[in-house]
Amino acid sequence: MNLSGYRKKSPWILHYNAGSCNGCDIEILACLGPKYDIERFGMINTGNPKQSDILLVTGPVTKRSRERLVEIYAQMPEPKVVIACGACASTGGVFRGMYNCEGGVDQYIPVDVYVCGCGTRPEQIIDGVVQGLAILEQKTKELEASVKLNNEAIEENHQVNRRHIAASIK
Amino acid sequence: MTNMYISIILIIAAPLIGGLLYGFERIVKARMQRRIGPPLLQPFYDFFKLADKRKMVVHSAHAFLGIMHFISLWFALAVLLLGGDLILVIFLHLLSSALLILSAYSTRSVFSHLGANRSAISILAYEPVLIIIAVSIFMLTGSFEAGAAFSSNQPLLYKMPLAFVALLLVLPIKLKKSPFDVAEAHQEVTGGVELEFSGIFYEAVYTAKWLDYVFCYTLIFLFAGSNLLLGFALSIFTFIYLNALDNSTARVNYKQMLRFSLGVSFSLAFINLLINSLS
Ligand code: SF4
Repeated sequence: MNLSGYRKKSPWILHYNAGSCNGCDIEILACLGPKYDIERFGMINTGNPKQSDILLVTGPVTKRSRERLVEIYAQMPEPKVVIACGACASTGGVFRGMYNCEGGVDQYIPVDVYVCGCGTRPEQIIDGVVQGLAILEQKTKELEASVKLNNEAIEENHQVNRRHIAASIK
Repeated sequence: MTNMYISIILIIAAPLIGGLLYGFERIVKARMQRRIGPPLLQPFYDFFKLADKRKMVVHSAHAFLGIMHFISLWFALAVLLLGGDLILVIFLHLLSSALLILSAYSTRSVFSHLGANRSAISILAYEPVLIIIAVSIFMLTGSFEAGAAFSSNQPLLYKMPLAFVALLLVLPIKLKKSPFDVAEAHQEVTGGVELEFSGIFYEAVYTAKWLDYVFCYTLIFLFAGSNLLLGFALSIFTFIYLNALDNSTARVNYKQMLRFSLGVSFSLAFINLLINSLS
């Protein structure tokens, strides 16, 4: 049975603030309010990485939050989509080049959709999430399969050669 | 005999009914907040989506306890719908909650432990009231069987209105609705006991929530006796009451919840029991 069609009908969102100024977070919360009401698409703000499909990240990644960001990403079960919300999350924005942050979520985790704007508008966020859903639907099971390295190391001329072990990974 | 068939159909369809109820409730809740709300079948979409997600099992006992929670809850509901012993129903329900709490304790997550603590406290808050209500039913009908309450000609509501009020006051604790939702508290402990479940194993906990709805509304039906119309009226009233309460109140902490439940709801049920046993 093909269930991937249901992914776009019930995307559960996890929102993580990786050091944003709170501007983008408020816009995300505005999406949940009566005016935009993204729950009509079945989206819930779960706050629990183990049950969510979409990771909405706001803010430049600060040196304090980067470990947590990667950990949260790792805790989300596949299929998952990462959306960088706002100029900060996409490139570093106004915080780019500062000593405490490194600019852009994509330095640490793979990002699928970038949403621009300093203070992204709720319409843009919804648009970004809808694009993310199209990507989510296409993600296949193969992505989540763990890779087995079958090749053994070869001993040539009294030297252990491991160069070809990882060659099977595409 | 037809009653029996109806109960069996109800038992088999309970997750479906519960899912529809949950979907409808989400719409009603959204409308109360002037939102449009998700489609009616949203819980089932969630269900299918979760089935397709990767399972991240913390350890096998954890997942197993989650599934046993669902099964024992379904069993409790079956005993209730077949008109079995009320005390047995209450203890089966307690067992199912205890399994979920045990599963939450078995992980190393702090939030999971917090949620388990809080769930245990909420059991402490509602379970005595339920037992007192069962005893009052025993005083009136002369048996602990739910079937006796379902088939009594005069609705129990007229004889034990205070117990019904007490039930209304503890239902939000049981269904984890707003003033008393410390056990779930999404903003504080992000779901508490269900935190560590994922994929198809979360589904068991998620569907158990639907079964809980059916369980609670069946408890409401106990009060209507054989009068089905009254039963539906009471359920609709309870539905609106629960959602209005959920939307209009803020969360209280667990001490306040315990104090309120044991102070007010328990005394109400107890006074009702006294009156019943005296008259
Ligand atoms: S993009 Fe602008 S509004 Fe958003 S977090 Fe960065 S500075 Fe704040």
